[in-house]
Amino acid sequence: MSVEKTAKVINQFSSSEKTISFIVGFRATFSRNLKIIWQYKFSLLIGFVNTFTVACLFYYIANLVPNQLISQDGYSVNSVPFIFAGSMLVDISTRILMKAMNSFTSEIRQGTFETLATQPFGLKKYFFSEITFEVLYGLFFSLIYYIPVLLIFPIFRGIKVDVVSVISFLLLLVFVFLFFFSLSLLAANITILVKRGREISMVIIGVLHLLSGTLFPLSLFPNWLRIIAYFSPMTLAVQAFRLCLFGNGTIGDFSVWMSILILAVTSLIILLLFNLTYKKIYKRIRSKGTIHEY
Amino acid sequence: MTIFLNLVTIIMYFFFSKLNPDLTIFGISSTYLEFCFLGLSLQMIIGTSLSTVCGSLYNEIITGTWSTLLLNFNFLEYAIGNTIAGVLLASVSVVIALSLAFLFMGAFYIISFQELLLIFILFILILLSHMAISMIFSSFTIYYQKDSGLVSLLYQLSKTFTGVVFPIALLKGFPLFLSKILPLTYGLEALQSIALSDSVDWVLILGNSIILIVITAILGIASYFLVNWSIRHSKKYNKVDWY
Repeated sequence: MSVEKTAKVINQFSSSEKTISFIVGFRATFSRNLKIIWQYKFSLLIGFVNTFTVACLFYYIANLVPNQLISQDGYSVNSVPFIFAGSMLVDISTRILMKAMNSFTSEIRQGTFETLATQPFGLKKYFFSEITFEVLYGLFFSLIYYIPVLLIFPIFRGIKVDVVSVISFLLLLVFVFLFFFSLSLLAANITILVKRGREISMVIIGVLHLLSGTLFPLSLFPNWLRIIAYFSPMTLAVQAFRLCLFGNGTIGDFSVWMSILILAVTSLIILLLFNLTYKKIYKRIRSKGTIHEY
Repeated sequence: MTIFLNLVTIIMYFFFSKLNPDLTIFGISSTYLEFCFLGLSLQMIIGTSLSTVCGSLYNEIITGTWSTLLLNFNFLEYAIGNTIAGVLLASVSVVIALSLAFLFMGAFYIISFQELLLIFILFILILLSHMAISMIFSSFTIYYQKDSGLVSLLYQLSKTFTGVVFPIALLKGFPLFLSKILPLTYGLEALQSIALSDSVDWVLILGNSIILIVITAILGIASYFLVNWSIRHSKKYNKVDWY
């Protein structure tokens, strides 16, 4: 194929002109992914057992220090719900990232990414629809899995949360998931370049778990590490999540509104970065001929 | 990346240990840091032994090299070779992580040469039992041509219910039953008795070693037959090069 023709093909997939509408492509991606999931029905059951096991891990770790009262942001709470709440939020969020990364890694490994990327639908729309599906799928099943887990471990029983706190809490969750949506988009973009989706997500998840203080209050960190920790948007998000749950925190509280603001700004920056880099990355892997490599 | 990830995990438990979890009520005389470093190190290596055979095989099927491999290798050779390679690589990252823990976090293990030999024997037994489990999961992958997800499930179960980051004395009811059917529980219990206690409990070590040998023998024989049966099935229905 001549250089002009190659350029024409690249232009065709990267431009949204003369392609099918976003809704149609989005629906097609959803339908395709649902069919794939249906073929792996067994993994849905395994997903529940996995969630239960992760919850058990944090529950029993928390029970190593059962009588400790942890004070933070003006409230005091027993270490068991404190650790469980933080771990649950980070677990659900990072599960979304893991699903998105696994999906892209799997497409690359099976050689289907090349075909999907050159569909008339357009690469950017494909990225958006694929990640949207994975985020919604991950979120839906994580919430379903956590319902029986919370019935087995009635950790939050007796905790009274007022309506304003619940609304603030839900708003915070929306922004947490928006942040993970954008992070998944950017990470997926990097995955097609470096071909190590699973490893990238594992490192991000590990760092987020450490810095957000899921197992301990951040006051245990030395000052320099605490400063670094606040560069992670999830640190303040976990703090705000716990405040809404145990301290009746609302959107008026500094850590809650600041967390929402930071999550929104970070998500916007990540989306911009994705927009700036996706074409360059795709052109690079095409010019290097590594699109089908894993 | 693995070294970095192992370090992040170790640092997380280092800060958790600052909450001063008391292990003496469970009859463990060491500090929490020493207790969980031992468990985490073993879990990191065992995770590799568990996932190597099944994971490599799945990759072979996806990339289309599985059919060629069947012509050149016997599955047992393939499993042993892959496990040794994977475990050696995983051990490097664990040794680095443990050395850093020793230098900066104050986790000390005073072990005699005799105890070191015992640890090595137990380590081999634990490794073999997990390789056998991985071979059983591989037989499902060969039969169904799909990744069952059982490896990650068993990895998570082993991490939670075998006393890696908390003593199994905390468990009751069904979780305790789960811990008793996982081979890592017996291996880790024996290792903790050697590395963390002031006096070695020979009865416990011998008992747990016998249990590990029996588990390995049963699972090993079962895995060998299951893998051979799956290969025959996949050859019979022309599924070797199909994904």
